[in-house]
Amino acid sequence: MTISRRHFNVLLGASTAATTLALPNVALAARPRVVVIGGGSGGATAARYIAKGAKGAIDVTLIEPAKRYYTCFFSNLYLGGLRDYASIGHGYDKLASQYGINIVHEWASGVDRDKREVVLGSGGRVPYDKLIVAPGIDFKYDSVPGYSAAASGKMPHAWKSGTQVQLLKAQVENMREGGTFVMVPPPNPFRCPPGPYERISMIAHILKQKNPKAKIIVLDPKEKFSKQALFMEGWESHYPGMVEWIPTSVSGGVKNVNADTLEIETELDTFKADAASVVPAQKAGAIAAAAGLTNDTGWCPIKPESMQSAVDDNVYVLGDASIASAMPKSGFSANSQAKVCALAVRGALTGSKVFPARYANTCWSTIAPGDGVKVGARYKAGEGKIAPTEKFISQTGESAEVRKETFDESFGWYDGITADIFG
Amino acid sequence: MKVLIRRAIPITAALFVAASGYSVGAADAEYGEYLSSECVTCHRTDGTQTNIPDITGWDIKSFVSVLRAYKARERQNKVMQTITSGLSDEDMEALAAYFANLKQAGAE
Repeated sequence: MTISRRHFNVLLGASTAATTLALPNVALAARPRVVVIGGGSGGATAARYIAKGAKGAIDVTLIEPAKRYYTCFFSNLYLGGLRDYASIGHGYDKLASQYGINIVHEWASGVDRDKREVVLGSGGRVPYDKLIVAPGIDFKYDSVPGYSAAASGKMPHAWKSGTQVQLLKAQVENMREGGTFVMVPPPNPFRCPPGPYERISMIAHILKQKNPKAKIIVLDPKEKFSKQALFMEGWESHYPGMVEWIPTSVSGGVKNVNADTLEIETELDTFKADAASVVPAQKAGAIAAAAGLTNDTGWCPIKPESMQSAVDDNVYVLGDASIASAMPKSGFSANSQAKVCALAVRGALTGSKVFPARYANTCWSTIAPGDGVKVGARYKAGEGKIAPTEKFISQTGESAEVRKETFDESFGWYDGITADIFG
Repeated sequence: MKVLIRRAIPITAALFVAASGYSVGAADAEYGEYLSSECVTCHRTDGTQTNIPDITGWDIKSFVSVLRAYKARERQNKVMQTITSGLSDEDMEALAAYFANLKQAGAE
């Protein structure tokens, strides 16, 4: 039989005889190639773990248009004035300099899965042996009648961090005295299940200081939400009378939004906002559909034991874009999935050991400075799904001391996970 | 050729609690490193800490005993209780050895 690339690399890796091969350039050219689309929690972690574990035996390329990545997690804390904007931004220099990852700051516009090439916005093509797709989310703008990409300039979704969050913060801080902020959270499933309610908490925190007569109205397409009892208890104790949460069973649902007049029409009433955030329904980042990796839900089915795409063995899908059963769409989940995927990809390309998948998630939320809550679980890959094996959630009525510990812990987690993602 | 992904290799206590103490062979270090990837989502590996403890360079017995206390719910952090619920004694020993070595190696 002919010696496959995999065998060749195993030989290289197993001996110290690279110098005796006398053709180092050929050896380099023959390294298996992994391309990662998306430099967020899933993609950057996977790139780093593959490069770190393979020690040069795999050529890793990360395609991410942004030169500086602003995390979605903790963007609410920036909104509430608990973190500055620079502190939630991260670059890719360490992934390049310490791990030898090729960083390509371009949009991936398509994937030719037959030729195993990623097509760049510039027209260039990047060949791969294994492709990791971690593009996060895109929006179904028409899920909210009257909303659009253009409308997001007036009613920011602010659901991908970055400048949208800066815009929302400015709008909230410039509201008239005693004005009304209206939030329209997204329907399930969506990125960061407790996120809309942490956002409401952080906006309430700003308004309590700067505009204490202001009101917050939440027009929710859902009947219940993540950590609901904890948030409602916290809103009542920290921001009494300020937050009114209205589920669809009461409002009848949002019938139209007008970004010019900031009017939000429901069956119950038309709400005139002084500032508003509208977060539409979501789907996998556009490249996932362009690559033919999504199903009719708009998300990507995967194999639970490895995060391998259900439709292509050479492709893996991580994070928010994937259908990860019980795992929520969170930065923590994506980071956890990336490590399972990295091991599987290395195993497939270099024959390194692959251990059973171990998945975990924790979502911390800040209700007020010093008042943090958390929800989390461990998961295992079962038959056709990722199932929880152990779960926990903060309790209502916990002591201030426990809440302060949880709040402080979330800051430690931010430092830990961002070092784990970006090096 | 068909690429095979090798499945779990059972790790036994004997591999880690060997006559030489808690030393971990190269193959098992891979397992410890993989397990550690769950820890380093929160715990930093460069010896620094912010509200979440530095766990590099600990004495192995102390490390294992703290993890066991979380698993037995004698220690109170819910994240740690949940993570340790999925760790066997052997897993804990592999982790202890991995993080002890990390410090000796000058951390990452």
